[in-house]
Amino acid sequence: MQYQAATEYYYNYIPVSHPYYPTVAVDPLERVAKLAAQNAVVIFSLSTCCMCYAVKSLFSGMGVNPTVYELDEDPVRGREIERALVRLMGSSTAVPVVFIGGRLVGSMDRVMASHINGTLVPLLKKAGALWL
Amino acid sequence: MATQDHHHHQHLPYVVYPAFNPPNTGFINQEGSSFNFGELEEAIVLQGYKIHNDETKLPLYTSVLRPAATLDMFPSWPMRVHQTPRGSNSSTDSGSGVNVTIASRPESHSHIELEPESPMSSNTRKTFLEQQPRQQEHVLRQQLQHLQIPQQQLEMECEEGSPGGSSQSQQAPKPFSDKRKGIGSTSQKTLDAKTLRRLAQNREAARKSRLRKKAYVQQLESSRIRLAQLEQDLQRARSQGLFLGNGGGNISSGAAMFDMEYTRWLDDDHRHMTELRKGLQSQYSDGDLNVIVDSFVAHYDDIFRFKGVAAKSDVFHLITGMWTTPAERCFLWMGGFRPSELIKMLTTQLDPLTEQQVVGIYSLQQSSQQAEEALTQGLDQLHQSLVDTIASGSVNDGVHHMAVALGKLTNLEGFVRQADNLRQQTLHQLHRILTVRQAAKCFLVISEYYGRLRALSSLWASRPRETLISDENSCQTTTDLQMVQSSHSHFSNFG
Repeated sequence: MQYQAATEYYYNYIPVSHPYYPTVAVDPLERVAKLAAQNAVVIFSLSTCCMCYAVKSLFSGMGVNPTVYELDEDPVRGREIERALVRLMGSSTAVPVVFIGGRLVGSMDRVMASHINGTLVPLLKKAGALWL
Repeated sequence: MATQDHHHHQHLPYVVYPAFNPPNTGFINQEGSSFNFGELEEAIVLQGYKIHNDETKLPLYTSVLRPAATLDMFPSWPMRVHQTPRGSNSSTDSGSGVNVTIASRPESHSHIELEPESPMSSNTRKTFLEQQPRQQEHVLRQQLQHLQIPQQQLEMECEEGSPGGSSQSQQAPKPFSDKRKGIGSTSQKTLDAKTLRRLAQNREAARKSRLRKKAYVQQLESSRIRLAQLEQDLQRARSQGLFLGNGGGNISSGAAMFDMEYTRWLDDDHRHMTELRKGLQSQYSDGDLNVIVDSFVAHYDDIFRFKGVAAKSDVFHLITGMWTTPAERCFLWMGGFRPSELIKMLTTQLDPLTEQQVVGIYSLQQSSQQAEEALTQGLDQLHQSLVDTIASGSVNDGVHHMAVALGKLTNLEGFVRQADNLRQQTLHQLHRILTVRQAAKCFLVISEYYGRLRALSSLWASRPRETLISDENSCQTTTDLQMVQSSHSHFSNFG
């Protein structure tokens, strides 16, 4: 299967199911955790979601280059992950979900709260996403 | 003969005597209210005939008058008197009568249109004048003295409405002698037809005015009932706590509920402000001050919670700022204040800060600015997406596009929530950075600032507005602007 890796200026788009990775029937949450651990900043998003756009814009404004997984671009696994995220977050909207340094930060309000109270930047620095 | 004007109305053409004193002055004053001029005219006409034509008819006339010794008599005249005309050619005939029907009126009316036209032709009048003016006077005088009180009353009434009235007459003023002899001095035939017509017209006018009055009273009654119903509805609505506020009509219940809560919150805000002021001035201990500061933060948490609830039911009410004052609305960002703006304002007011605090405040300002920017861009994206959806709707799947658009609109709630979240976090962070005393001062400044902004709105609303006409400068500007605009439109035609 071929996936259109839509590379925009600031983001790395990696298809959820990569041809080089073994397609194992894995629990979606495990997959999420695995994907989150692979990069410093991981955002699960939907291409149509405007709040996801806002969170992406926040990170890029800070000079961070996040890894974004557009769940609607993966027809097979995307929906599974979406459902798993809904269960994980306990909210009706799955996205955006942000992982920094493999650890769950949360949805947009958690990200903003951590930015305001000054914990986001150190976290980013620790994960190696930010050098200043 | 001298006329004695008893009041400003027209005086009777022929029966005015210097010795005449109205016994019942109260009667004169009541003249306007329930006076039946139609009947009076008939009475005058009748009297005119009776007095100098037929003495035997006087008792009948008197008997008709006597039952009505007061003003009430006119509406309640029970008798219908019908006389056959005797047919006379000269007013000096003694045997003439007139076919006049005195109808009893069931109700009285308040005004009468006095016919300006004289009932008689000027020709016959002049003829009579040439003949026996003084004899007629004498006869009249004699007859009048026969009728005692009722006659006097009639004379008084007669003075109200004279068929050939001078003051209300639209004709050229006639010689007094003409008017005096006016009623009984023409030929019987002319007086007959014209008088009848005039009387009929007066009856008609009286009837019309009665109908008008009736309609007006009915209208008043229905308005009164409607007013009572409206008051009842208003009372009910007030008791249910519905608050109409700025929106006037078309305010949703969620918005109305929020407006009510916000009003209460504003009162609380004032209370917190005075507490903070008192705490700072009275040098409270840090512990006591901390209590006040914590309650202030909780007070703001309350409004963010209310806004969260309101965003679910009516996000447009929040985002358009209809719950705030105009000045606040002007600087509104995503349904509330802009946190970075607030911090910028505070940095000038919070003077004694440690270096660490300064750094903290500065980074707070930075992060809030970045967060604001992110949310604004996200909202712009939503806006663009919405525009695309609405614009691209074709005839076939218009409904589908509307449904998609509706779905996109629901995202607005998320943005307002995130904006409020940002505001809340900013206030909490301020509380963390500052000491208790500094925080107390900071929160007092915030309360005062928004209080002044709200006061500015009301001052602006009640400012005296000058008219453009009186102000020459602005008039000039308007003309210039109009000229520019008209030239623009002129040029656009060539484009």
